[in-house]
Amino acid sequence: MLKRLRDPWPDHRAELTLGAVSLLVGGVVVAMVAFVGVHAWPTFSHNGLSWLGSGGTLETQIANMQATGVKAPASAYHLRAWPLVYGTLLSTVAAVVLALGIAVLSSIFIVELAPARLRRIAVPVIRLLASVPSVIYGLIGVLVLVPFVGNDLITASQKASVQNVVELTGAGLIVTVAILTVMITPIMVALICEALVSVPNSWREGAIALGVNPVRAILAVTLRAARPAIVAATVLATARALGEAIMISMVSGSRSFTPKPIDGLLFLFEPLRTLASAIVDYHEGVGAPALGSTLYAWALVLLFSAFALSLAGYLIKLPLRRYQVRG
Amino acid sequence: MTRIRRLSAVLVAAGVLGVAAPAGASALSTITISGATASYPLVSLLAQKYVKVHPHQVKFKIAQGGAQIGVNDVAAGRVTIGDVSRDPLEADPHGLVFYPVAKYAICVVTNKANTLATLTSSQLISIFTGKTRSWSAVPGASASGTIDLISRTSVAGVLTNFQTLLLEGKKVSSIAAEEPSEGLLRQQVENDPNSIGFLSNYQSDKGGVNAVGLGGVACNKASAVSGQYPGVARFYEVTKGKATGAASGFIAWILHSRAARKIINTQWIPVT
Repeated sequence: MLKRLRDPWPDHRAELTLGAVSLLVGGVVVAMVAFVGVHAWPTFSHNGLSWLGSGGTLETQIANMQATGVKAPASAYHLRAWPLVYGTLLSTVAAVVLALGIAVLSSIFIVELAPARLRRIAVPVIRLLASVPSVIYGLIGVLVLVPFVGNDLITASQKASVQNVVELTGAGLIVTVAILTVMITPIMVALICEALVSVPNSWREGAIALGVNPVRAILAVTLRAARPAIVAATVLATARALGEAIMISMVSGSRSFTPKPIDGLLFLFEPLRTLASAIVDYHEGVGAPALGSTLYAWALVLLFSAFALSLAGYLIKLPLRRYQVRG
Repeated sequence: MTRIRRLSAVLVAAGVLGVAAPAGASALSTITISGATASYPLVSLLAQKYVKVHPHQVKFKIAQGGAQIGVNDVAAGRVTIGDVSRDPLEADPHGLVFYPVAKYAICVVTNKANTLATLTSSQLISIFTGKTRSWSAVPGASASGTIDLISRTSVAGVLTNFQTLLLEGKKVSSIAAEEPSEGLLRQQVENDPNSIGFLSNYQSDKGGVNAVGLGGVACNKASAVSGQYPGVARFYEVTKGKATGAASGFIAWILHSRAARKIINTQWIPVT
């Protein structure tokens, strides 16, 4: 028996085994979505499409779910999850846009302009940064950034001007977005650098030979060729930002307020809550049926956003494929 | 942070208590416990002592995570005992038996820089329900400007007790920031000179925050023992049905032995 395993496998057997393993992965994904979906169904069926709407205070609705306990009446399922969806979109989009700009510029610098010695140090350091666990960023946020913003940036009169609507404690949008950006930038830089490196040198040389200056060559040839990799890096970074839970739970102010751009500067300091951080904050309550179902509903929305994200990435990359290099 | 602590706590508890049990004694009965973070320091001390005075009989596996996790786990039969830091609720699963094992005080805390010594009950309610929003309206407070309310997420046992015992059943204003653990609440209060929150006396006795008295009575162990301080809540050991076997032995030991009483007396208050 052992000998049969040790001998080189015939093609058809290797094919079957590997096929079974990959089918299993697919099966696990389907089973997971089905499981989450079944548990999330009650909250969707009670609220309908207005589940996504706004209205009332989310914290009060959650407290109701918690209070009704094991035998939840239909009214306990009442939930308007817009503040969480908005918080997730806002923090993710802001962080990804910032990170994309920083990542593209720094990748160009590292690959095209930096002296070789600097590049040899920068690349491994960035790889290392990309793997720092998010809870460490959360700790730095709680111990350093939140007190700094709360005590030094927000003035007493700003606090007092909104004191009956919302609390500005320092934890809020600006700290969340700043740390998220720092978290996802290294992943993007690492991926984009690899793509830029693999653009054939002859393409650059060709452009320069045609008479454009080096900066123009970088923008028109190298960066253009790396576009699919930039899209892929953005998709990965967005996925990490979407799913970030612990760090945001620690620094976002944990209140489902929807920061409003119309508030001017205060917009930056207003607290928020995201889908993932709300799951962390309330996971203890999974035993109360209404709250449990709600937690699964948040998870389902996150799962579908992740799928939608991959699909969008694929669709954007399709027309870019003509002159691509593999990143 | 809670989760990290919980993980390491499980590892530490498993390590410490695993060593205490002799290797190869497979006839040992195991008591598994999960639940409130607030009572974890007490329960792990009690368990260590229990193993020492009853060698070769029992071993413990203790995890923390929150009062509600204790209730859920014990109701589902995942653990022998659930630790709960709040009184039984109507909404709890049926068939659970709550054994009160110790009492603790819930202290109102402010930043160290705010030397507020005491609040009346009506001032406290007005602050936490969001009616009073400025420190200038609170006599005795050395902070100025807006009051930053720091509360706990609605699943926290300490929040439930705080509302019943000290706010006459009223809810903390939804304006308050919600912290998912005692540690994060404490950190936020230490950070923010304008903040006010609430902690179990074990956490507030550690310093770093200013414990505010109620109606002239300071919040500490002595005033809680004498019964003057109003915000005294209980820790429960919870079992599914009446405690049997090793669990019943452990709970009886906590309630009646002198050694357990001595441990409880260090930071907490015995029930009787």
